[in-house]
Amino acid sequence: MRRYILVRALYSVVTLWLLVTIIFGLVRLTGDPVEMKAEAGADAAYVARLKHDWGLDQSLPRQYLSFLGNLLQGDFGHSFEKSLPVRDIYFERLPNSLKLGFAAFVISIVLGVPLGMLSALKVNSWWDSVGKGIALFGLSMPGFFVGLVLIIVFGIQLGWLPVLGKGRSAFVGSDPSTWVLFWFKDWSHLIMPAFALGWYFSGAMLRITRSGMLDVLGSDYIKLVRLKGVPERMVVAKHAFKNSMIPVLTFAGLNLLIIVNFAVVIEVIFNWPGVGQLLYDGLSNRDFPMVQGVVLMSGLMIVVLNFAIDVLYGYVDPRIRLSR
Amino acid sequence: MIRGLLAPVTALVLSVLACGDAVAQKGPGAPILSGPLAKLDIKPAQVDTAKGTSKGTLTVAMHFALDPGWLDPLEHSYAITQQMYDYLVHDTMIKPMPYGYVTYGLAEHVELAADFRRAAFRLRPGLKFHDGHALTTADVKWTYENYKGAYAKLFHDKLEHIQIVDDRTIVFHFKEPFIDFMDIYNGGVSGIGWIVPRHYYEKAGRDGFKAKPIGAGPYRLVSQQAGVQMTFEAVDDYWRRTPATKTIVVKGIRDPATRMAGLQTGELDLAFGMTGKVLPRLMADPNLRYDPNFTGPWWLMFPGYNEPGSPFRDKRVRQAVSLAINRPFLVKQETQGIGKPWGNWISSENRDALQGAEAPVPEYNVEKAKQLMAQAGVPDGFEVDYLPFPPYFDMGERIITDLRAIGIRGKLQSLEGPAFRGKINQGRKGVPGNRTIVQNIDPRAGGSKNNIAVYAVCDSPSSFVCEPQIEALWKKHQASLDLAERERLIKSIQKIMLDEHYFVPIYWNPFVHGIGPRVLPEGKAVSKYWDTLNAPYPWPWEVWEVKADR
Repeated sequence: MRRYILVRALYSVVTLWLLVTIIFGLVRLTGDPVEMKAEAGADAAYVARLKHDWGLDQSLPRQYLSFLGNLLQGDFGHSFEKSLPVRDIYFERLPNSLKLGFAAFVISIVLGVPLGMLSALKVNSWWDSVGKGIALFGLSMPGFFVGLVLIIVFGIQLGWLPVLGKGRSAFVGSDPSTWVLFWFKDWSHLIMPAFALGWYFSGAMLRITRSGMLDVLGSDYIKLVRLKGVPERMVVAKHAFKNSMIPVLTFAGLNLLIIVNFAVVIEVIFNWPGVGQLLYDGLSNRDFPMVQGVVLMSGLMIVVLNFAIDVLYGYVDPRIRLSR
Repeated sequence: MIRGLLAPVTALVLSVLACGDAVAQKGPGAPILSGPLAKLDIKPAQVDTAKGTSKGTLTVAMHFALDPGWLDPLEHSYAITQQMYDYLVHDTMIKPMPYGYVTYGLAEHVELAADFRRAAFRLRPGLKFHDGHALTTADVKWTYENYKGAYAKLFHDKLEHIQIVDDRTIVFHFKEPFIDFMDIYNGGVSGIGWIVPRHYYEKAGRDGFKAKPIGAGPYRLVSQQAGVQMTFEAVDDYWRRTPATKTIVVKGIRDPATRMAGLQTGELDLAFGMTGKVLPRLMADPNLRYDPNFTGPWWLMFPGYNEPGSPFRDKRVRQAVSLAINRPFLVKQETQGIGKPWGNWISSENRDALQGAEAPVPEYNVEKAKQLMAQAGVPDGFEVDYLPFPPYFDMGERIITDLRAIGIRGKLQSLEGPAFRGKINQGRKGVPGNRTIVQNIDPRAGGSKNNIAVYAVCDSPSSFVCEPQIEALWKKHQASLDLAERERLIKSIQKIMLDEHYFVPIYWNPFVHGIGPRVLPEGKAVSKYWDTLNAPYPWPWEVWEVKADR
């Protein structure tokens, strides 16, 4: 088992190294940030200073080595566009993304899982048609459209909910009093962006729950349980539900990471200060360190999650660790 | 004994040396420099000594992510956006205000030697930074010496030495005549005149200062989330007046529809960049107001026009382009009729710009344009790439449609903002080929000479025009110390640019700002906040007034 974990850990490190190397190269293909920042008529000395400050006057291999060296010390570099250390900005934003992501995730689970189960249990009925309809709407109606409709109805017309930002609450690392309060304040700001973001994923969750449940309900062991005369409610709750949730939970875990890290459009529409907007701003302004930092952190989360899943699989099913 | 004698002798020598350069006398108008002086047109500051009370919160939406770097004048960019933050947190020696393009700020008295080799400033008495530390000429000197932003090389190359006469009096000595000094030392153009507290900067460091700056301006930064929001609070004892609004919150909101929604829900009081598709909604909303906020004119450029093989080499083709554009229709479609068809590519708010009868609006005459195309040997037209200033792609499409009427078939190349700027900043080199039309706008302060210096002279990194006739006039301008002659030369260059159609002006652009109902005064009188010349944003901020918080 120890060897298995070591091998998986090594794979994870190599994956991360590949990721940072690829993103280091890719962002540099997008254009010269100095030319973009300098403004028309900027003199050569000003341009040279920017290049020097941003380390772009060094050769590419040197830039790469210095980037890797700094990374190993936990330094993601200075943002070109926001003039401060990327790490500080990223960790200031991450709690906001987690708050939005968790709320959207909960909405997607609360809407998607029960409706998916209902759809599967009442297959080919009116309930099933409604469930499939909702899934179709969820997957085909983009979050930004749902967001704009919510803004018009609940923000502008009814005036019930604020449309901008996350409110005044902030998670401040140096202030423990904010660590708990942050998650429970300013919910009025959270409702619309969380619903718009969770809506799409609830459709996907509904479909995967429905198909998982249908697979399980059609399996031999469920047939056996039914033949034994176990009440249908018990069949579903005790035997079918748990097993049908395995693919749902795997999918949900990845969904959560996607929701947290790449909610760019919803963050822009609601001006939610999350890491998605950081990535968007970084790409728009050729802010190399910012893009590298955000992608690295997103990649790190995904790699760590996959590593954890691999290790858990290895524990749960010895055949997996033996075959690898 | 010797040490006892040395001290007074040294003091005497130093004071004699100081008197050789400057005569430091107290009193607001007392002279500082000896010898003849240049005539300066600096308006007095409007100081309101009555101690008022700040109230309410003004929430402002900028149209892009906020950069903490804007809070540091030492690294001032060329972009005029940064001045918005200068005017909040910092203060400058001289600056544009609604009551004059150059007005006294921290300085109460300014002199410039007639030979443009010395400039002297006297600070107001009792100036303080936000932390209560006195603002002295040592800070002014340190700011100058440590400045590395826009025009830094020019300032440092020209400087011979800085003489601190006393805590309030300072003289800049230049190696050669520095005739543009007052123009670019002015807070509206560069960051070097915005005084940074040396004691705090050295303590906080570069990053620390950007994260939590202090200055001598009407507002102090109380918190910021990089890129998202900055919150400023009024400095009650600001020298000019007590700021009328207690708190100013600036948010970075990229999406215009979100800014519009924020205005409609009352979460925003002021939103910038309300152009394009949200403009009709803004104008139709009875609860909201707007200010046209004219910035600069749009114009077309023809990169590589003077190269063999370019159809734009022929002046008649460039003129035909101008004649083919239906400016009034464009203004109606693009700006709901707010914009003004314009005959110059330089804003009329910029000094020495040709306007009115000197630069009449070009006529719309498709028949004449077709004739000119035929005379130029291209009766069937040709294909071009059309590069519009992002995100004004609809406007580009409309101009392409106009040009199609005379056979010029444009292909729209839509680039995002930074990529477009990256090309334009490189001038001709950034836009290869010689069949491209670029649609540009650049509200630039510091006099029309600055626009010419950037776009229309050969050695500019962003040059799009390089003509011997213009070069000769420009060289003469640069060598001249006669202000009247310089003005004449700048106007002559503009005349050539327009007569030869090197640039084709379109209309004066309103960069509309939306205003919510909480902003005072009621009605259209609110437009008084946009009175500062050459300012794309409504500074100064200390005069902004809002209703008290609910």
